[in-house]
Amino acid sequence: MSAVIAGLGITEMGKVYGRTAPEFAADAVRLAAADAGLTVSDIDGLLTNTGISGDVGLNLQRDLGLRDLRLLSEVQAYGSSAGAMVQYAAMAVESGMVDVVACVFADAPLKDPSSGAGAAYAGAGRRPAGWQGLAAASGIYSANTMYALATRRHMRTYGTTSEQLGHIAVAQRAWAAKNPLAQMRDPITLADHQNSRWIAEPLHLLDCCLVSNGGVAVIVTSADRAADLPQPAVHILGWGQAHPGYVMGPGSELGLVSGAAISGPTALKMAGVTIADIDVVELYDCYTFTVLLSLEDYGFCAKGEGGPFVAGGALGSLAVNTGGGQLSSYYMWGMTPLSEAVIQARGQGGERQVPRHDLVLVSGNGGLLDHHSTLILSPNPR
Amino acid sequence: MPVGIVQRDAATAEFFDGTARGDLLIRHCDTCDGWSAPQARTCPHCASPGLSWAPAAGTGKVVTWSVVHTKGLPPYTVGIVELDEGPWLQLQLTGDLPEDLADLRVRATFEHPEGGEAVPVFTPARVWKAP
Repeated sequence: MSAVIAGLGITEMGKVYGRTAPEFAADAVRLAAADAGLTVSDIDGLLTNTGISGDVGLNLQRDLGLRDLRLLSEVQAYGSSAGAMVQYAAMAVESGMVDVVACVFADAPLKDPSSGAGAAYAGAGRRPAGWQGLAAASGIYSANTMYALATRRHMRTYGTTSEQLGHIAVAQRAWAAKNPLAQMRDPITLADHQNSRWIAEPLHLLDCCLVSNGGVAVIVTSADRAADLPQPAVHILGWGQAHPGYVMGPGSELGLVSGAAISGPTALKMAGVTIADIDVVELYDCYTFTVLLSLEDYGFCAKGEGGPFVAGGALGSLAVNTGGGQLSSYYMWGMTPLSEAVIQARGQGGERQVPRHDLVLVSGNGGLLDHHSTLILSPNPR
Repeated sequence: MPVGIVQRDAATAEFFDGTARGDLLIRHCDTCDGWSAPQARTCPHCASPGLSWAPAAGTGKVVTWSVVHTKGLPPYTVGIVELDEGPWLQLQLTGDLPEDLADLRVRATFEHPEGGEAVPVFTPARVWKAP
């Protein structure tokens, strides 16, 4: 009894004010169920992942009026959560304990600018005690800074340059121009990337992802159940996770190797395919650097050669982040690559559809490269 | 940027007792004599939970760094420093810094913001002069 993704729900996305994350979550689940040709009451399993707002969880069952669930949990592995939820849902479906699982992420970190509140991700003003407080007092309170430190280490070790990272930003914006869901659709050039303001050197503004309000949900069910449903089933052929637990000391691979080096081969082996077979690549891209490091760790190029790889035209031949990714479309943690993967696997990408889409790799990344999840999706069964 | 205010909690009380008297305390393993970062709860070398506090020499080299640009503040520099004992610390870098900080030798000093604990920062071990 193999598991498939049978429904996808994406709410209104971006600078959408006046709605809470739980409201986005409920809407996303309703949209996903409708997309799958199911009613909300058909759902008997629910997995939730809350964003920085921190308020999407078990209460979603009541918000949706769901009765007699046979699976309900909050999942938290940061940016790897979306992939993890699909993995747990697939295992639950394949075991027979549940029929229809909704996996949902929602967040509402952006406040109406007229209210004077900045994005919660900025982090400034938080004043925790203890070790977190020491980092904040030292000026290290933003993911931007942490990823800048990791990026610089890769640059110093392998000679990676900011211009090379710029190729990723430019290529993804070109994809976003063809994505009606994308928030940023105006083309950019390498010069635009280089001239964009510093956030935390060596990261420019155009190295960094967007922040979005909204919600995304997918419906996981069995291939048998999906056979009678309206959407093309997206088969979940393989999956993996990796959580390196970097030691902060000599020999640490922080910034040099991510968990994708483990979760990738695990997922590919389960699917019975190799990296060379992959047609479409949807990578977590909180920063351009995350894309570059992931390409190396999945084996699309050799370790340390990500810079020349992306600058040498690889992003023209390899379909990477075909919706524009978190850099240019919308930032829904791991649901950004997952949602675009479902669209591409179904062949519903419209102007941006990749002609050959038999195997789609989805990569989640959380923390400071601390948590990885990989999915191998396909319109075809094993 | 001057360092901010930080208050101690139970996990950091001894560490900040150290910074108050000018000591940079890190963790020393009772079992294998290995060193680990002050935040460690388990020895990264032998997995023993038996860790004691011991002062580091306070010297090390820069592993990686970033100049952070924040609206309304002058740019400031943070980094990861590998202490000579081995553990990595993420702290602010101050003083007269060269543009390329890779492997720069640094030493810990302490700032004493009013209303908070003494905060360690790293500064070049020797005065650096522009070439």
